[in-house]
Amino acid sequence: MTDTTATRPVIEARDLKTHFQGRTGIFTALAGVTPPVARALDGVDISIREKEIVGLVGESGCGKSTLGMSLVRMYQPTSGSITFSGDDITHVEGRKLKDYRRQAQIIFQDPYSSLNPRLTIGQIIEEPLVIHGIGSATERRAKVERALDLVRIPAAENIHRFPSDLSGGQRQRIAIARALVLEPRFIVADEPVSMLDVSIQASVLELLDELSRELGLAVLYISHDIATVGYICKHVAVMYLGRIVEEGRAEDILAQPLHPYTQRLMAAIPRMDPGEVPERVELRGDVPSPMNVPPGCRFSSRCPYATELCRAVEPDLTDQPGGQRVRCHIHDDRAAKARPELERPQAGRITEIEDAGLLAQTAG
Amino acid sequence: MAPARTRSPALARDLARLDERLSAKPAAHLKVNGLSIGYSTLRGRFHAVEDVSFEVRAGTNLGLVGESGCGKSTVVKALMGLLPEFTGISGEALLDGQNILGLSDAQLEPIRWNRISLITQSAMNSLDPVYCIGDQICEAILAHEKVGKAVAWARAEEMFALVGLPAERLYEFPHQFSGGMRQRAVIAMALALNAGMLLADEPTTALDPIMQSQIMSRIRGIHEHMRRSMILVTHDIAVVAETCEAVVVMYAGKVAESGPTADVLERPLHPYTMGLQNAFPRLPVRGQPRQPLISIPGTVPNLLLPPSGCRFASRCPFATDLCRTTAPQLHTVGAQSAACHYTERADEFRAAAARPETWRNMRVGA
Amino acid sequence: MTQVPDQGAIRGRSLFSSARDSFRLLMEDNFAVVGVAILAIFVLLAIIGPWLAPYEPFKAMMTETGRLNRLSPPNATHLLGTTAFGNDVLSQFLHGFRVALIVGLVAALAVGFISTVFGVLSGYFGGYVDDVLMRLTDIALSIPTLPFAIVAVALLGPSIENIILVITILFWRNGARIIRSAVLTERERIYVKWARAAGASHFHIIMRHILPNIVRIVFLWVTMSVAFAILTEASLSFLGLGDPTVVSWGQMLNTAFSSGNLRTAWWWVVPPSLALVLLVSSLYLIGRAYEEQTNPRLRRR
Repeated sequence: MTDTTATRPVIEARDLKTHFQGRTGIFTALAGVTPPVARALDGVDISIREKEIVGLVGESGCGKSTLGMSLVRMYQPTSGSITFSGDDITHVEGRKLKDYRRQAQIIFQDPYSSLNPRLTIGQIIEEPLVIHGIGSATERRAKVERALDLVRIPAAENIHRFPSDLSGGQRQRIAIARALVLEPRFIVADEPVSMLDVSIQASVLELLDELSRELGLAVLYISHDIATVGYICKHVAVMYLGRIVEEGRAEDILAQPLHPYTQRLMAAIPRMDPGEVPERVELRGDVPSPMNVPPGCRFSSRCPYATELCRAVEPDLTDQPGGQRVRCHIHDDRAAKARPELERPQAGRITEIEDAGLLAQTAG
Repeated sequence: MAPARTRSPALARDLARLDERLSAKPAAHLKVNGLSIGYSTLRGRFHAVEDVSFEVRAGTNLGLVGESGCGKSTVVKALMGLLPEFTGISGEALLDGQNILGLSDAQLEPIRWNRISLITQSAMNSLDPVYCIGDQICEAILAHEKVGKAVAWARAEEMFALVGLPAERLYEFPHQFSGGMRQRAVIAMALALNAGMLLADEPTTALDPIMQSQIMSRIRGIHEHMRRSMILVTHDIAVVAETCEAVVVMYAGKVAESGPTADVLERPLHPYTMGLQNAFPRLPVRGQPRQPLISIPGTVPNLLLPPSGCRFASRCPFATDLCRTTAPQLHTVGAQSAACHYTERADEFRAAAARPETWRNMRVGA
Repeated sequence: MTQVPDQGAIRGRSLFSSARDSFRLLMEDNFAVVGVAILAIFVLLAIIGPWLAPYEPFKAMMTETGRLNRLSPPNATHLLGTTAFGNDVLSQFLHGFRVALIVGLVAALAVGFISTVFGVLSGYFGGYVDDVLMRLTDIALSIPTLPFAIVAVALLGPSIENIILVITILFWRNGARIIRSAVLTERERIYVKWARAAGASHFHIIMRHILPNIVRIVFLWVTMSVAFAILTEASLSFLGLGDPTVVSWGQMLNTAFSSGNLRTAWWWVVPPSLALVLLVSSLYLIGRAYEEQTNPRLRRR
């Protein structure tokens, strides 16, 4: 395999937007009432190569799951494009869509309700093969056993068991095996370990990492936990309210986050060593609703450093000297030059502080 | 910081008296001895908690750590008298010398909220959707203090200021609050009577990381500013590291290890504590190789048929035949104690436990 | 339930083995055992009843003196006496088993089928499909039961087929609602979401993930519908709208009532009434136990 094929992205999204229209009844629709639009995913670029795991971090409602679901065409993107191995699959339907579904798989967060309790482990993993009409019954069995092998679950004694006989970690492995049995090239792993006990999370992450390398998979690893992301991802993107606010190599972002939101996410991680506990600025309010996106920078309503410029002009994702890309006026002076009358934010200068209450004042 | 509210002199005087009376309450002391909790199920007896003992000294913070199904939440429910009626409870829990286990609801009435209060896991369930938040806090105050509604409301306003919520939101209903605000309201409610002992049962599990850290900073504030005694139940050992002076690590219904947090985290004696620490993501330091994440193989034993030996034996890389046959007693080493037969070999175990091969090479049923 | 691993195709739990498991669980409930026992006897009598019947149900019995044997109390030749028209009560009663069960079963299966189709389509597809189907159901729900049944049978003509049709029209609507709500829950399961992402067709998802998980609720509703159908048929027949060519228990009661003998000819009135009560109760007993077993919240500790 030459370098050029190895570096060509397996999946690539350009300016991807997925907006949700609130559903209206027949009568309100006839009356011409337009329902509100939620801009869940609002212009995201992402590309993932073979054997690469890209981490996507953000809080609930930031659009990270919407991105995952849009990439596997569970949601129809509103605009933008998705390219898979060079083919535009943004709008494919029918036969072509089914072909794509064979190549792109998704693993969900909840290992307890992601497996049908009435089916045996064998049936569960075989199902994708049945859906795509692959192989004879005996061939399918061989494939199922191979998939179980890959996720390190002994096939012989487990193939006839039911999901209720297995622990959460084992179930998540079954879900991974089910995704692998079609030999896909791209997998979305949507919070695959967040419902598992800490003591077994590492083994599932490790498995994903090994599988990606052994099988040449492109993986989008979605998580709210920025600490675990660094273990298996080389590249990390941080999302806030439908947009990527910072991306780059995992080690850079974890060691030196530039965007105030990423900084706060990093500071939020509890530290084992009391000496390492960082200063934690209180953020104002909650994540705004995607139906009501603030003007200017989307983080400006909560950012402790926000100024007039932030509330008026949305910053672009700009390249930084270290190779990171950040969407913040602190690290990009173009908007400030264009609008000199508006005050520009500065690193570390707190402009807006939250009344955190007496309890939080001196607490670290 | 809080905007000056106009209160009549009489109201201000009554409020000051209430505040004074409540703040005079001492922090509570709790000693739990040999607590065992079992449920009868159709398939036999389920030993949720067995022989758990610990002590919370007045004004200190104890972290109760463990993974799902280790019995930590059951302990909290037992202390609050919230377990179903026919649960078998034995042992004692002395709150300032008075045993609070097995009391009737009527006997618990003057104790709950007043002397021991709870910050629950899911704030939505502990708030009544049909009453505004202010009324719910007032109700708790009025049940225990002979004051007027106006004074109780003023106290609720103070509590809201404490957790950083604007007083006018007292008039709102739980569904109008976001998850983080609801959790703050629950904290305000738990503090309203300045109970000597606070139980916080996974207070931040359902929240996003930033909100988690902001809520935890308030929970730490309770300890710092109000010097209440507290038990913090969590699965996150790092949260305990930041918050609690002492820690009890539970595994499969039993205490695996306990002691001062700094000691336990620095020199864990029990292989489970070592494993738990290794499994926790650490932040990378630039230029240094990152410590690998190591998971503990295997699964928690079935508590319907608990193993006769050490409950961790099936997942422990250092287990011997002794471990598999005889349940270890708590061995005390300095201020720490651990339920392990080999506490004297802890140094050797710690070195081995830091190596991924130690755990990977044991073959247990996935 | 351990199966021997074999090297051939992957097999899951067969429908038969899950039905057997369900039945075994059902038999743990004493009331259900009573219900099943009664039902078994009724089914047996429905099969062999007409052969056991000593006479033709509508044959006029004559006394030795050549007069019509009217309203004879039970005796050796007529174990349950005779009717006001000289028919043998036992023979009519035994024929009634088959009618009751055929009406109950056919109507319930039709009800089960229609409500499942409506409920599944409506719940699974949602959106405008749901809107249209559920508005239809709402309209069906607004039909007043008895007046509709009386008018419909009067217009269509009193035959067993028409009675079954009317019962079906009346009872599918509640079932559709119940099944729809069950499907709404099932539709949100993550494995359903996953199956869509894997490229499964709607048909595949419905057959593999939705139906197997609602089959218990459908079965429960069918059981209850059998009882409703039997009661409705009896009511219609009692009102004189029954099929005149067959004997049903409702019709026996109707004849007894209209001939003015309801109070005196107990041998004519008690057997069909008792049989109706027993049959319907047995179905309810089974349904209740089944519901308890299906819904863990109702399960005793």
